Amino acid sequence: MTYSLSFALLLLAAASVAGFFGALLGVGGGIFIVPAMVLLFHLPMKIAVAASIVSVIATSNAGGSSYVDQRITNLRLAMFLELFTTTGALVGAILAIYLHDWVISFIFAVMLAYMAYASFSTRNLDDERIAKGLFAKARPDKISRYLALQGSYHDLAANKEVDYVVCGAKAGMSVASIAGLASGLLGVGGGVLKVSGMNKYMNVPMKVAVGTSKLMIGVTAAVSSILFFIAGLIHFMVVAPVAVGTTIGASIGTLLMNRLHSSILKWIFSALMAYLAYEMLAQALAKGFGIHLPSAA
Amino acid sequence: MKQDLQPASSPMSEEQNVYAGVYRMLVVGMVVSNVLFGIGLILALRRPQYFPLSASWVRAQYHPSIVWHGLLHGEPNSFFLIGTLLLILTPIARVIVSIYAFWVDHDHKYVVVTGAVFIVIVVTIILGLLGIR
Repeated sequence: MTYSLSFALLLLAAASVAGFFGALLGVGGGIFIVPAMVLLFHLPMKIAVAASIVSVIATSNAGGSSYVDQRITNLRLAMFLELFTTTGALVGAILAIYLHDWVISFIFAVMLAYMAYASFSTRNLDDERIAKGLFAKARPDKISRYLALQGSYHDLAANKEVDYVVCGAKAGMSVASIAGLASGLLGVGGGVLKVSGMNKYMNVPMKVAVGTSKLMIGVTAAVSSILFFIAGLIHFMVVAPVAVGTTIGASIGTLLMNRLHSSILKWIFSALMAYLAYEMLAQALAKGFGIHLPSAA
Repeated sequence: MKQDLQPASSPMSEEQNVYAGVYRMLVVGMVVSNVLFGIGLILALRRPQYFPLSASWVRAQYHPSIVWHGLLHGEPNSFFLIGTLLLILTPIARVIVSIYAFWVDHDHKYVVVTGAVFIVIVVTIILGLLGIR
């Protein structure tokens, strides 16, 4: 393959769009970048996964730093859950190195479908919970209390200081482990799982969950990147435009994110996920079994 | 009950240390790696060349002398490689900075939690070097 101007610039443009949506929806660009590389640029799944995971570190640095600066991120919660995401990522990356491309594509499609559903099923909850002050009323469990995981942040859309109590630490640990596994295996940040998990089971407001997840994603992706790097799967010529593009897109997306209402984000997110799930499934079936579903890609 | 929720060892003012350290680390890593990628991209676009999509080709670039030679002679691969390594190291450095910041704040519980994360990273590097060819 020749490193042509059009290949690099198109990849950079696609990555910018993916990074923008990723940051806007708080899901990490990976979930859009991997399908873009596989479906639009016809790159092998493993190269796509490895390039994506490096770009995911870039978005985590870009988005993560901004949320830390705005004090939206809950650092303690991040440090605690990271222990589980990194362990999961280690296992996931080992699996990614040894599994067939089409198996990874298939699992990717399943994950997208689940995420479309998960996001849809929790829509509209946050704005109500903030207005009624419900986030401050939960009862912390033993671990959350011991580790002092509670916090507060300033919500620009609701224009108020939102206090919240964290509970469900054990559920959070499980979700973080699965998210880490998904991250290492699929080249995504695993942000969607973490964000919905923290929001649903741990009583963490959506925006705090997004900021906290964003920060955790960096070190989680670094763990799998180490393995991919040693294995030679991180193709520099692919990584560079993808990483630069996602950083640009993510920086713009992050600026807008705290100004939008959560419910709008969830709607856009669900629809996009469902579509990508279908396309990735079509790809996996075609490669694994020679079954061809009607597809736009 | 109130006391349970606000541990004496870590009031919000001290937590600023951790926030500031983490923020600085992330911004520095992001800027430097992106500048390297940017330089590499410009170099690559000036001289388009063939590149195989294989792991063995990628691994062949890892030799320090190849990277050094590449940096001196404007080979995009070398800039991309260093940028990638820096990108991977940024969150790891962030973990180390956090351990230090929690230590300065006398937040020993979190020194342990964050230290455990660092151990996972070390185990990954060892496993990678031992097992994956």
